[in-house]
Amino acid sequence: MNSAFGLSNKNIIITGASSGIGRECAITFSQLGANVILIGRNKERLNKTFNKLKKGNHLIISQDIAKYAKLEEIVNTAVDKIGKISGFVHSAGTEMTLPLRSMQPSYYEDIFAINVIAGFELARIVSKKKYLDKNGASFVFISSIMGILGQAGKVGYCSSKGALISGTKAMALELAKKNIRVNCVLPGVVETEMTDRMFENLSEDSKKAIVEMHPLGLGKPNDIAYACAYLLSDVARWVTGTNLVIDGGYSAQ
Amino acid sequence: MKKKEFIDELKDALEIEDEDLEITLETNLKDLEEYDSLSVLSIIAMIDKNFGKQISSADFAKVTTVSSLMDLIGKEYFE
Repeated sequence: MNSAFGLSNKNIIITGASSGIGRECAITFSQLGANVILIGRNKERLNKTFNKLKKGNHLIISQDIAKYAKLEEIVNTAVDKIGKISGFVHSAGTEMTLPLRSMQPSYYEDIFAINVIAGFELARIVSKKKYLDKNGASFVFISSIMGILGQAGKVGYCSSKGALISGTKAMALELAKKNIRVNCVLPGVVETEMTDRMFENLSEDSKKAIVEMHPLGLGKPNDIAYACAYLLSDVARWVTGTNLVIDGGYSAQ
Repeated sequence: MKKKEFIDELKDALEIEDEDLEITLETNLKDLEEYDSLSVLSIIAMIDKNFGKQISSADFAKVTTVSSLMDLIGKEYFE
């Protein structure tokens, strides 16, 4: 592969690295030459990801990112052990399907804590000069096609993913002078542990309908990981504040 | 919980506003106009909130009448 598409000499923090898209990102980035810092709650599952990485200077930090006060410690440890940060992918996310009538303030707070606030907080911390690679950095937020389209029963999830999209644009403008690019990836439904759990709560008919809404079928985690790798690589040097839709044709209809 | 209270909670979850619509232990939930896949999620959330029990959609699929739903939750929860 053309080395411009590679990620050599880049140190990349990935949240939600213990499963799904986050795990696949870690594996793909390591194959492209990056050192990856895996963040997730479950150490055992992070180890599973770690064992699949191509050799490099990688690190596991097991931490609940909803504990905001711990986030600076995460970045500090990562920089101390691996080096300054050139990439950040916020893939940690939680899903909830519940009609509006049953939603409660605490449900929104839990969704936003993981999907949005922890990601923005990490971006704030990584942006500090003492942690940032001298050549700048690229931040990628894993939003969702649900961030621009609606679905019944997903007020909490859709609004959190939409917040990532608008936050990305504001952040891109603010951080351009530090040579930090900020972008969003908007996947359609990807086959991950999270969607498996969602599918458990749906009837066969609903599942079939969801699959049929994707002209190219459901996505695989590496469909998204490759898009993230592009945004993190130097070939994307002029790309910031944008939404990259990767959804098998879902939103073309 | 009293059975009457449970039926009121159920009506809330199903958004049944018709005061005159009588729901009894023998009412089959699937016969109700308001019953759909989203209302099932509302009922499951209501059960979690009131009884601290997580019912899977697969288990819920076997429910027919209000009484069978109460059996699924556990008879010991009701007076």
